Amino acid sequence: MSMLSDFMFISAGLFCIGIYIVLSKRNAIQILIGIELMINAAILNLVAFGKYDDLANSGQVFALFAIVLAAAAVAVALAIILNVYRQYKTIDPAKVERLKD
Amino acid sequence: METVLTHSDISVIQLAVTAVVLPFVAFLLNLFIVPRQSKLSGVLSGLAIGASLALSVFVFFEVWNQPALHVQQIWFTVGSTQIRLGIWLNNLSVLMLLLVSAIALPVHVYSIAYMKGDNHYTRYFAYLSLFCFAMLALVVVDNLLLLYAFWEMVGFASYLLIGFWFTREKAIQANKKAFLMNRIGDVALLTGIMLVYTHYDTFDIVTLFGDHSLATAAATATATKSVTIAGLCFLAGAVAKSAQFPLHTWLPDAMEGPTSVSALIHAATMVAAGIFLLGRVYPLFNTEVLTVIAIVGCFTAFMAATIALTQTDLKRILAYSTISQLGYMMMAMGIGAYSSALFHLATHAFFKCLLFLAAGVIIHEMQHLKRKHRLHIDAQNINNMGGLRKIMPVTFITCCVAALALIGFPLTAGCLSKDGILIQGFAWAEGKGWAYSIIPIGAVLTSLLTAFYIGRLMFKVFFGESGLEGISADSEPEAHEENPLLYLPMILLALGSLFPLFSLNPLKFESAWIVKGFADMVNKTESSGELVPFLISALSVCVVLIAYGVYVRQKLQWLKFKGVLFNMSYNQWYIDTFYNGIIVRAVVGLSRAASWFDTYVIDGIVKLIAGTGLVLSRISAWIDRYIIDGIIHSITYFVKQAGNFIRGFQTGRVQGYLFTMLIIVLALYILKTFI
Repeated sequence: MSMLSDFMFISAGLFCIGIYIVLSKRNAIQILIGIELMINAAILNLVAFGKYDDLANSGQVFALFAIVLAAAAVAVALAIILNVYRQYKTIDPAKVERLKD
Repeated sequence: METVLTHSDISVIQLAVTAVVLPFVAFLLNLFIVPRQSKLSGVLSGLAIGASLALSVFVFFEVWNQPALHVQQIWFTVGSTQIRLGIWLNNLSVLMLLLVSAIALPVHVYSIAYMKGDNHYTRYFAYLSLFCFAMLALVVVDNLLLLYAFWEMVGFASYLLIGFWFTREKAIQANKKAFLMNRIGDVALLTGIMLVYTHYDTFDIVTLFGDHSLATAAATATATKSVTIAGLCFLAGAVAKSAQFPLHTWLPDAMEGPTSVSALIHAATMVAAGIFLLGRVYPLFNTEVLTVIAIVGCFTAFMAATIALTQTDLKRILAYSTISQLGYMMMAMGIGAYSSALFHLATHAFFKCLLFLAAGVIIHEMQHLKRKHRLHIDAQNINNMGGLRKIMPVTFITCCVAALALIGFPLTAGCLSKDGILIQGFAWAEGKGWAYSIIPIGAVLTSLLTAFYIGRLMFKVFFGESGLEGISADSEPEAHEENPLLYLPMILLALGSLFPLFSLNPLKFESAWIVKGFADMVNKTESSGELVPFLISALSVCVVLIAYGVYVRQKLQWLKFKGVLFNMSYNQWYIDTFYNGIIVRAVVGLSRAASWFDTYVIDGIVKLIAGTGLVLSRISAWIDRYIIDGIIHSITYFVKQAGNFIRGFQTGRVQGYLFTMLIIVLALYILKTFI
């Protein structure tokens, strides 16, 4: 039986990797992957905490909802990235600077 | 007071008003409708005054020696005071109405010929009609305010006509002088009117000076000081208008106007307005004022006669003669010879107007000679004339009549009126002490001087040889009196200067109808000096003979043409010099002082205030620029710098934002952990 803390470490590691990817990559798709990693870290936490709710399995259910939402968010994000590419002919977020004043 | 007027009376008044208004209509037409330079204007004005004359004659015969006609209506109301205006036709009004239109008609006719070819023909007749209107209105109105208005209006018309040839510097100077001199009198007259109003509370001449009037009652009762002062004010008004000493100097200068104007305005009618005024307000004067009037008149008469002795300008001689004769009338008013004064006014109007018209013809002739022979002479200088009787017989004869009338030679109108004044003068002085007899003696002296200067004028102009080299009557065969419009008026006036127009008895002034018409106003005096007129006539003839000896025969050389007296007379008693030297210089000095005060003191203060304001505003501008603006600028600078600083964070890089956020969150956690 693995300990709850093991899940927490893995989750924290996943989150840190995700953050690192999001902050350092020069490709929007890769950043999206980083985001997915961070979401999965959160879902892992939900599942891990769900073990303590045997009756309703609400952790598992919440994780399912989060996965569906993540998938929807990815779909939207991919659409945005596609549009950004059409607009700027690049998907490097460092070069898409028009948000500044 | 309120009498019911019959229908015929009303029509008489309407006719009188028409007579007054007709020249005004001519004035308006000439001013606005008749084209410039049109021959029509002279005819129009002439017709208007002719119609006025006809109406005046009718009105005269209706009113003369009848009860006076008086209509009035309310003019305006101030508070509870009602000012009424109206027409008052009594003997004096209708006499003046007739006289003015009777003199004005020949002058109009004469002017048509005299002004022919002038550049401002229409304007001339417009002014002349304006004058006639004002003068006729002046004599009929019954209200002192209206009288004053028309009094000013005749003065204004006179001003316009003196300066008629406005391109001549001298004419402009002369009309300004006339205007200013008259202004002194006008102010006095206005003061007099106000005094009368304060005293009696009315402007109505009939109420004031008519029969059973307020003033009559007051003058006979207690002569208050204000009535005396009012009388003196009226006198001062008359003195300025009638060119009496000390305000007489405008009249000789006024001769710069056209000669026909001099004849009408400055000899016959306007200057007589002063005498008329005295006649109108006669009951106002008490004994003191009357004495002053007599003294002023007598002195003016004498002074002007002495000046006329030596002048060389034809028109100036006549001007001084006019002043002298007006002095006579003034003196007659003063000594109570009311009727004689007005009688002399009427006769003088005829012969003096005639003399001026003759002078106009003579001057025309002289200018003609001047042009023809290309001479550089003064056309009005009598020394250049001489022998003109052969060239201009009509002028000569009419002039002789006028001169004899001026001297007071028997059978002329002047004889009647002058004798009346002299006889009443002696009667007045009788039993009043020796000082009073100076006045009639002065009058006699004046009349002798008159005989001399008019004799001198006649002999220099018409007798002897021409004063010009190489021009004699024989070399000027053509007669220049061809225009009947010029000499017809002169003949008419000459007939008017003879006795039959005024009296059937040529030797007794009491039988003249004018004297009879005013008999009720005269203090009855026994004519003591029946011999006086004959004596004076004889003396006058002697004096004329002396003048003949001096100027024609040139035998009597005892008259010196230099010396103190000659210079005094020639320089017009230095009165003009005195006015220029003392009064004008004082006024100019005062103006200079005022100007200096204005420039340096008032302007200095103003400039000081302005300078202070300037300095204050500079300071406030500095404060505004460096302190107020500085604060605002520093605030904006700070905001701008802050903005710029914060702007730096906006890199637009999503990952940068995320990184920053991460660091801040971590920092918060770390801080939370440790604190």
